[in-house]
Amino acid sequence: MNTVKDTTPSALELVEVRKQYGDHTALDGVSIHVPKSSIFGLLGPNGAGKTTLIRMVAGITGPDSGSISFFGKPLTSEHINEVGYLPEERGLYKNMRVGEQAMYFARLRGMSKTDARKELLDWFERLEVDGWWNREVSDLSKGMAQKIQFIVAVIHKPKFLILDEPLSGFDPINAARIRKEIIRLRDEHGTTILLSTHDMSSVDELCDHVALINHGRKILDGPVIFLREQARAGKIDLTFRGNLISFTAALGSGAILHSAHSKDDNVHEVVLGLPATIPIEKFLKWVTTEVDVLSCSPQSVSMDDVFLRAVKNSAANKIEQS
Amino acid sequence: MNRWLVVVGREFKTRVRKRAFIIATLLGPILMVGAIVVIAFLAEKAIHSDAKVLFVDHNNLITYSLSGSEGVRIPSCTECFPERSFLEYRFTNQALTTEEFIDSDFTAMLELDDGIMQSAKAVLQYEVAPSIRITSAIKRDLGEAVERLRVKNESSLDYETYKRLKVRIGLVTQDIVTQDKNVQHKTGVGFAFAMFMFMFIMIYGMHVMRGVIEEKSNRIVEVVISVIKPEHLMSAKITGIGLVGLTQILVWSLLSWVLFLAFGFYAESSGLLVNLMSEQGTQVATTDFNSFLEASDDLNVLMQIDWFMMVGWGAFFYVAGFALYSSLFAAIGAAVESEADAQYLLLPAMLPLMFSYMVNLMILESPESMLAIVCSFIPFTSPITMMIRLSVGVPWWHVLISALILIVTVYFMVKMAGKVYRTGILMYGKKPTLREMFRWLMYKN
Repeated sequence: MNTVKDTTPSALELVEVRKQYGDHTALDGVSIHVPKSSIFGLLGPNGAGKTTLIRMVAGITGPDSGSISFFGKPLTSEHINEVGYLPEERGLYKNMRVGEQAMYFARLRGMSKTDARKELLDWFERLEVDGWWNREVSDLSKGMAQKIQFIVAVIHKPKFLILDEPLSGFDPINAARIRKEIIRLRDEHGTTILLSTHDMSSVDELCDHVALINHGRKILDGPVIFLREQARAGKIDLTFRGNLISFTAALGSGAILHSAHSKDDNVHEVVLGLPATIPIEKFLKWVTTEVDVLSCSPQSVSMDDVFLRAVKNSAANKIEQS
Repeated sequence: MNRWLVVVGREFKTRVRKRAFIIATLLGPILMVGAIVVIAFLAEKAIHSDAKVLFVDHNNLITYSLSGSEGVRIPSCTECFPERSFLEYRFTNQALTTEEFIDSDFTAMLELDDGIMQSAKAVLQYEVAPSIRITSAIKRDLGEAVERLRVKNESSLDYETYKRLKVRIGLVTQDIVTQDKNVQHKTGVGFAFAMFMFMFIMIYGMHVMRGVIEEKSNRIVEVVISVIKPEHLMSAKITGIGLVGLTQILVWSLLSWVLFLAFGFYAESSGLLVNLMSEQGTQVATTDFNSFLEASDDLNVLMQIDWFMMVGWGAFFYVAGFALYSSLFAAIGAAVESEADAQYLLLPAMLPLMFSYMVNLMILESPESMLAIVCSFIPFTSPITMMIRLSVGVPWWHVLISALILIVTVYFMVKMAGKVYRTGILMYGKKPTLREMFRWLMYKN
């Protein structure tokens, strides 16, 4: 299994967590480690068990077995005020005004009226929803409502913030603004953020660490940079002018030729797999003596590819096992 | 506790400030008192149908026979039965059969026998209920005749004897075809209470269900129950909405009372009462509203009801009945994702409520019947049926036992509903069956 042990102090640590609903196993022994002040991406197909995991951290349900520790202590109801939670497909009360509604949630998180009001006005200004305080919720556009929901989730300055698909429904401009706010929370307030999403581009941009779960099991986790590097598996894209056959012969067993595509007689695009023992610089030195190199770059692997591959692998493993 | 109160506050505040709620709360008493006033006065004035009443004096008490004409009799005291434009009497000592009566041109048939000297009761049968003006006139006339008869039987008359002889005739009115008797005006008050009970439990119970569905479908519930336990959220919701209902009941009661007093004051000072009473044929007109109520056949029931007990127990049965049903409704709301999906689960939950309403219609005539007694102990029907029994008076320990049974049931129901609620509120994507909901009772959280 592709796991990397991280030793930085953890904000959240799940150990062998299991949860059963009737005869359906939602989580089957999942362990994750969320480092302090990081953005941790929780990924997986629908029905993988993400929602169950999030609900446990949010304090809505408890595990059947296994342990959850929160900043080094077992997670209990005492931590309610230190967690912020933005659920998926969320909405607002229709029969309340915007400001009053935000106040209600802030008060539920234990804030005093005056603190809540001050913080809210601050956030309303920052996300440009000031002036909406006394408006009806039904007057809000979808994006506006999403902003209010985001504010409500972070208003009490939680140490730990759970965001379930925080960017869905935003236009690109507002999505960028919210993304900026998420990063600001981590950098300025040291907030630890658990981000569940299907949107791989936001994982690429936001997440420091990720875990992928499928069918109630974790199939991959680690720092994003490391996972990408690993998925790349030493692949490089090379374009050169020269003879493909003699190049392949010269390559010998030093590197694997994954694919080749000839543009015209002399120009070829190939994908090579370099073993970890050969550094890229060494390879470049050698290859320039053999052919006329037009371009050479380590293949860039998106998180999308990383996960598709991981899900595929885990499915293959399952078939093998059974 | 603090959070619980915040939730209760929200549920309460967002509802009581709604325009519809304010209008209904203020308008309700005006309509209610208005209805009473209309019954008492306007209807009275409006109905000017004339009546021809057959006076059947079985024991020849107050009439004598006119020689020659068979069956036709003359009142011993003609001045007791003054000529009225709207009322005509025929006197006899032979009652008509139902068929004969229907074929005849009489609007009503009044039967009396020796018993009237003691019971002061006579039976008035009709096809179409005569107006209050007519029954009042009959009562006055018959009363005077019976009084004169009593006085005649006394050798010497002092004031004490006079008071004893003074009689107020009660008419047992009866539909000649259906034999329905409208004796129990008191149960009418109980029925009105039960109706309100039914209405409030339904309306605010639906509020609870809709509220739960709203929170579930827009996922707000996930945020809230990450802060307070789902069972507590449910109880806070029920409490908040129950308080809305209680507020409305309180405002209605107070406002009705004030309006009624105000109307009484107006009636006393404006001389309206004197006009009304003389028109009804009451000899001694009064300007006192209370004595007017007492004298009024339809309204004197208002003076006989123990309002303190009715309202006190009414409030208790509302609170307990509401808790019972609304926790059921909350569990249903938690199990579904839209109101349309709730329909098939709502039916079994509402059946006992509908049933108690139907029982009420049945026991209206016989509040002492076995059915009434049994249903006033069953917790699902007692909040509604007990109101009728309370109106006619019920042994205190009956109410107490019924209340205890109800409290215990509410406790277990809220607990069970809480379990279903807790599981259902987080389930999306499938309609649960009743069996599944029962299984949720066993789930750990």
